[in-house]
Amino acid sequence: MASYAYLFKYIIIGDTGVGKSCLLLQFTDNRFQPAHDLTIGVEFGARIVNVGNKRIKLQIWDTAGQESFRSITRSYYRGAAGALLVYDITRRETFDHLATWLEDARKYSNANITIMLIGNKCDLENKRAVSREEGEAFARENGLFFIETSAKTAANVEEAFVNTAADIHDKIQVGVLDVTNESSGIKLGPTQAGMASLSSGSVDSRRGCC
Amino acid sequence: MGSFWRRQPSKVPGRILITDRDFAADQDDHDFALGGYPGVLVTSPTSFWSAYDSDAKAASYRRPAQQVPVGVDKARQKLPNSVTKFLDETSQAWEGDNDHDSGLSKSITPTGGRYSSHSQPHSPTRLNVANGTSSSSSPNHSPSSKQSRKSGEGSQIDLRVLGDPRLEKQNIAEMLHLNTNLARTTRFETCLKEGNVDLVRLRKLSWNGIPEQFRAMTWQLLMGYLPTNADRRAQTLARKRKEYADCVAQTFAQGVAGLESTLWHQIQIDVPRTFPMSPLFQDPVIQQSIARILYCWADRHPASGYVQGINDLVTPFYLVFLSSHISDDPEHSTSAVIPDDVLSEIEADSFWCLSKLLDGIQDNYIHAQPGIFRQVGKLKELIARINQRLASHLEAQGVEFIQFAFRWINCLLMREVSLKNIVRMWDTYLSEGSSGFSEFHV
Repeated sequence: MASYAYLFKYIIIGDTGVGKSCLLLQFTDNRFQPAHDLTIGVEFGARIVNVGNKRIKLQIWDTAGQESFRSITRSYYRGAAGALLVYDITRRETFDHLATWLEDARKYSNANITIMLIGNKCDLENKRAVSREEGEAFARENGLFFIETSAKTAANVEEAFVNTAADIHDKIQVGVLDVTNESSGIKLGPTQAGMASLSSGSVDSRRGCC
Repeated sequence: MGSFWRRQPSKVPGRILITDRDFAADQDDHDFALGGYPGVLVTSPTSFWSAYDSDAKAASYRRPAQQVPVGVDKARQKLPNSVTKFLDETSQAWEGDNDHDSGLSKSITPTGGRYSSHSQPHSPTRLNVANGTSSSSSPNHSPSSKQSRKSGEGSQIDLRVLGDPRLEKQNIAEMLHLNTNLARTTRFETCLKEGNVDLVRLRKLSWNGIPEQFRAMTWQLLMGYLPTNADRRAQTLARKRKEYADCVAQTFAQGVAGLESTLWHQIQIDVPRTFPMSPLFQDPVIQQSIARILYCWADRHPASGYVQGINDLVTPFYLVFLSSHISDDPEHSTSAVIPDDVLSEIEADSFWCLSKLLDGIQDNYIHAQPGIFRQVGKLKELIARINQRLASHLEAQGVEFIQFAFRWINCLLMREVSLKNIVRMWDTYLSEGSSGFSEFHV
């Protein structure tokens, strides 16, 4: 079994057709599949990334974007440490719906969730309908991280996932997030859990050695 | 399938056996199917389940952590006699479509449904059954339209195999199989030729699988779309097809400009994502045809509107109705080989049958999707009853049924099972009457 220090639960949300599943596939499999099945309910993906000198496993819940599924999607927010809120820079309406998505995220997930706003399809510059500045402004006003990505070219895809993980990791370091509370969306990995049982020490006591 | 199992208390659902051969052949796929729970016994050497397993989702990133199933043999020994008996009794039911020479089967088997599969379905050694040629366009709903090709006429035994005891044994099995198929074919033919088709009898026959050449007509009869009275059929079909054509003409009178833009956009981005690996469903003419069906249906049903997953549900109708018009492999056909007027008929028939199907499961697609939650609840209850160990394990792991079973209900297992097997399952669902897709499914 691959060892890792922490497991973070992510959710990917946003309107239908913005590229949520493509972002996940690019991140987990390094490939782009233009013709794929549309997502019904929720799909899962996982990958281990390095943050600082720690290995962190990201368990990613990729949700269906259609409005009809909103009642079921809401049940997936619970216990997520990170949320990737995605819109399509070529479709203005997907940007206009961000407020509704954010409202759901705030309402149904835990208060300390890290949210990364993602303007996807940045390879389609000639079809752009939402400027980079607008995206940045929305993120700034709502306390979100912001990045523009292309699931097709893989531009910034890695950064979108890893930067979110870095912020969650920082929150653990400063004690904002409690790793022993499952609703935080964080679990200790097998390495840490093993160390904890060996030393029967707390998370804080282990931090000194890494 | 709740109601069925309640009616058949001696039979236990959810138990399928996996042969050792299957395990060795492609453990990865079976691991996915089994989820590594030794308590869930799957197994049956029939091609139905082989095809099912090969159809397990190929996308590795969506696959749960793989575990080697343990205790299968032990568990199999514990298999109640009633289950074995049940499997014996019903195994024939899955054999109706074993005819790999048939266009429909051939079309779907190699791709294992929409996903590229690791393993090919196990194909038994078979006799050299010569395929007769058949006319490309057949008159509608004539029970004998494709029969010459299907009913075994022209079967030849490959003489090279005679003399080899092992092959001879297989030959006998094959011949018995052909005889059984022939008898079933005759029963269907007799039933469908009646001036007034006996639906009760047709349901009974169809429950065990419908021979391909009778499927389009039988489905339409079972759905209540085609009148049982032969004299009324031509008139009714003409009327329904005209009604649909008028609806399309009216809806699309101003082109795309007259459509509700959000709904049309949604359908436009979803249709290319419907069976993306199938040449047929990637054909632009077919895609526009399906888009019109979905739009017209959603337009007439504002309470639910178009919900993703409904796009999947139209495909079996389209494929089956199409296959009654062409001799080639339908899933690999293109619109070019189908005359426009035939395509229009297929579109209209698919629209009406989709409407009938959705009438029975409206609750699945209205706000908050109560029908799906109800069925997932029933599934959970069923699992707790027949496999407490699995139920406890899922609970201990914090896995909610809604997380994995939602799609099973929303898309009626169309993402989990190959299209070939979905078509076969629908034979039985449709035989169950109006509650087939709601009560019988779970």
